[in-house]
Amino acid sequence: MVFSSLTFLFGYLPLTLALYFLTPLRRRNFVLLAASLFFYGWGEPVYVGVMFLSVFIDYTHGLLVERFRQRDRLARWFVGQSVVFNLLLLGFFKYWDFLAANLSLLPGVSVPQLGLPLPLGISFFTFQTMSYTIDVYRRDAPVQRNVIDFGAYVTLFPQLIAGPIVKYKTVAAELVHRTVTSRDFAEGACRFTAGLAKKVLLANAAGALWESCQASQNAGALTVAGGWTGLFAFGFQIYFDFSGYSDMAVGLGRILGFRFDENFDHPYLSTSVGEFWRRWHMSLTSWFREYLYFPLGGSRAGRARTLRNLLVVWFCTGFWHGASWNFILWGLYFGLWIILERFVFQGLLSRTPVWVKRVYTLLVVFVGWGIFAMEDLGVCGRYLAVCFGGGPLWSAPDGYRLRSWALILLLLALGSTTLAADLWKKVPEQGRRVLAPVLMALGLIVSTAYLVDGSYNPFLYFRF
Amino acid sequence: MTTRYSRFLSAFFCLFLAGLLAWHVVLPDRERSSVENRTLAQFPEFSWKTLKDGSFTRGVEDYFADQFPLRDQWTGLKARTEQLLGKREFNGVYLCGHSLVSKVAPPQDGLEEKNLGYVSRLAGKAGVPVYLGLIPSAAEIHRDRLPKGAESWDQAAFIARGAELEGVEPIDFLTPLAAHAGEDIFYRTDHHWTTLGAYYGYAALMEALGRGEEALGQETFERLTVPHSDAFQGTLYSQSGIHWLPPDSIEFWVPDEGFEVASWRDGSPKKAALYDLAKLQTKDKYSAFLGGNQPLCVIKNPEGTGKLLVIRDSYADSMAPFLALHFKEVHLLDPRYYRYSAAKYAEENGLDAIAVVYSVPNFITDRNLVLLIQ
Repeated sequence: MVFSSLTFLFGYLPLTLALYFLTPLRRRNFVLLAASLFFYGWGEPVYVGVMFLSVFIDYTHGLLVERFRQRDRLARWFVGQSVVFNLLLLGFFKYWDFLAANLSLLPGVSVPQLGLPLPLGISFFTFQTMSYTIDVYRRDAPVQRNVIDFGAYVTLFPQLIAGPIVKYKTVAAELVHRTVTSRDFAEGACRFTAGLAKKVLLANAAGALWESCQASQNAGALTVAGGWTGLFAFGFQIYFDFSGYSDMAVGLGRILGFRFDENFDHPYLSTSVGEFWRRWHMSLTSWFREYLYFPLGGSRAGRARTLRNLLVVWFCTGFWHGASWNFILWGLYFGLWIILERFVFQGLLSRTPVWVKRVYTLLVVFVGWGIFAMEDLGVCGRYLAVCFGGGPLWSAPDGYRLRSWALILLLLALGSTTLAADLWKKVPEQGRRVLAPVLMALGLIVSTAYLVDGSYNPFLYFRF
Repeated sequence: MTTRYSRFLSAFFCLFLAGLLAWHVVLPDRERSSVENRTLAQFPEFSWKTLKDGSFTRGVEDYFADQFPLRDQWTGLKARTEQLLGKREFNGVYLCGHSLVSKVAPPQDGLEEKNLGYVSRLAGKAGVPVYLGLIPSAAEIHRDRLPKGAESWDQAAFIARGAELEGVEPIDFLTPLAAHAGEDIFYRTDHHWTTLGAYYGYAALMEALGRGEEALGQETFERLTVPHSDAFQGTLYSQSGIHWLPPDSIEFWVPDEGFEVASWRDGSPKKAALYDLAKLQTKDKYSAFLGGNQPLCVIKNPEGTGKLLVIRDSYADSMAPFLALHFKEVHLLDPRYYRYSAAKYAEENGLDAIAVVYSVPNFITDRNLVLLIQ
């Protein structure tokens, strides 16, 4: 089930919320666990087993780490075991076919591909449960002795299938004791509605534009203008889709009494590639920083080690996004820009006007989206070649496309800035009280109309 | 945010979600949607097997969407919003002034060439002359009305390819339709040609068969008065969600007198008529011609001459009454539903000619034409 579906909005959500709030406080984690498993099993009934296994193993490993805390080697061994288990789970379901296909290219090697469907959200929940055992070991979080509470954390439906990656320590306290005020509920509902509208109205519109540009390429009629339109369309699609989904998750979390960390902070306003990654999918960036980059030594062990660490982290970041070469290339592409910014451009960037830095960052990021979006590197190469002058500048369909999507592109561009939030702050309190329900009604009603007509509502995270 | 105000917002949110859920539950399920002209998904039957393979939950999602309260109003609202945002294309339909034109997408997998090949091979094995008439859709005839720069596949070029097909005689629908592009030859809310369009088609077909001088002039026909023939909201009305255009009306020119019509819907012939006027009281009014889609329909006119087999799509429904005026027998065969060798059929029934009459959008997407070479 995805949030932007009628079944979720008008079936699952009202029923789950009713059940949740009718249940006494101390039983609510059980309701949450049961409801989340139902949510998970809806799309992948068979994989509920994977979920149980994951919960069970990480739960016991948390206990073991705590139990043998005095014997550090043993505790470390259990942390390692849990990490290895999670990586194996992820590796098996997500990367097996990729590895098999590539190994089979070697002479004399033949590894069968399994073609298993990817358990939804496996990239997110394995990362979350890894953080748990590590946090327990590092004493960043208390061990969780109640398997229901722990299960509720792992399966928590708001962030189960598309993040944000909620570190255990962030919600450890709320898992045991949380309150929901009517203000939490109202703000959560507003946030959820905003996210829904971002996904259904803006991201899907951008996605349709991107598909139209891809169709032009398939027909051999891509132009420079069409190529860049497509890159921007895809960049907007993924931003509004992903951040919209995160908004919905954060909003649902608030409604249920959790405060998740923010996942996006207007990334397209960044003035460097490094900054972009501090504002884009922040929960993933910080996960890698905390659990991979720092343990590797970060940037404290000399230039060569720093370089190696950066490359490792960016290789992993890319590979995490999908089991395909283009994602690896995409990760390394960003690693390269970040290394350049760190060791080469640093002086130059500090003297450059802000708007130039923004343009530079957007160019790097949007060309990157090209690599991200097109799995076939040949197709991707030809597409980007057209963007950089390897084709006619302009054709009549470009005009049609731009006219048809002009207003939407404007909304997408403005929506990527802080404009809406700034304007909202300027509205006097009295006006906001009137506007909030109007906007909420508008968002819900129009989103519902688009979902009912639902000819185009892709789910981008099936591969994460 | 004060507590009271928060409660108000929260209640509003919950009421919207729960209210529509309650409405959904209370609302009786519909068998089919007349607006969309299709059967609607029903609640799936539960079994462990369907749960395991995911088809149960998918079925529930389809059911939920199909039976959603106010479905037609929601789709209409979406179209209005899209229009406000400056869109001219609605689910593959262009809004061109006061009419809707379906966009024609490029064919997939070389199907258009394959289908031409099948027609050519039919001509090679049939003992009678084979004609091919490709009807351009409104997207071609009204290309100048499409939004500036809007794409639609080049049907004229394809029709020219079809005209060069070896061993097959072409029927030129494009020239007369293009010449009369200023007249109402296509419905504004439906993808079919109007009776006027079908009339030009009929004249072109007679011409191609060498019987052009027999074709009757437009002035010989009286527009028959038929109740409920107005307020026609066609397939494009449903597909686009644009519900604010004035409806079409359907004209009937050929009086239904002196014909013997047999409709083969389930393996045996049933007596039928040129027009099934009861269909005018439903959404799918175009089905009034011959009663709509069917595997095979045979129209006999004792005063006519010649026996013609038409392998066709639904465009032929409104052209058939004109043909019935001239032919002793017109056999209308729809390969989507009739699975039998066309060549054998022509032979067994003593037909003198085979005409493959298809609209281009159907011809380039139909996967059943392979039956022509059986």
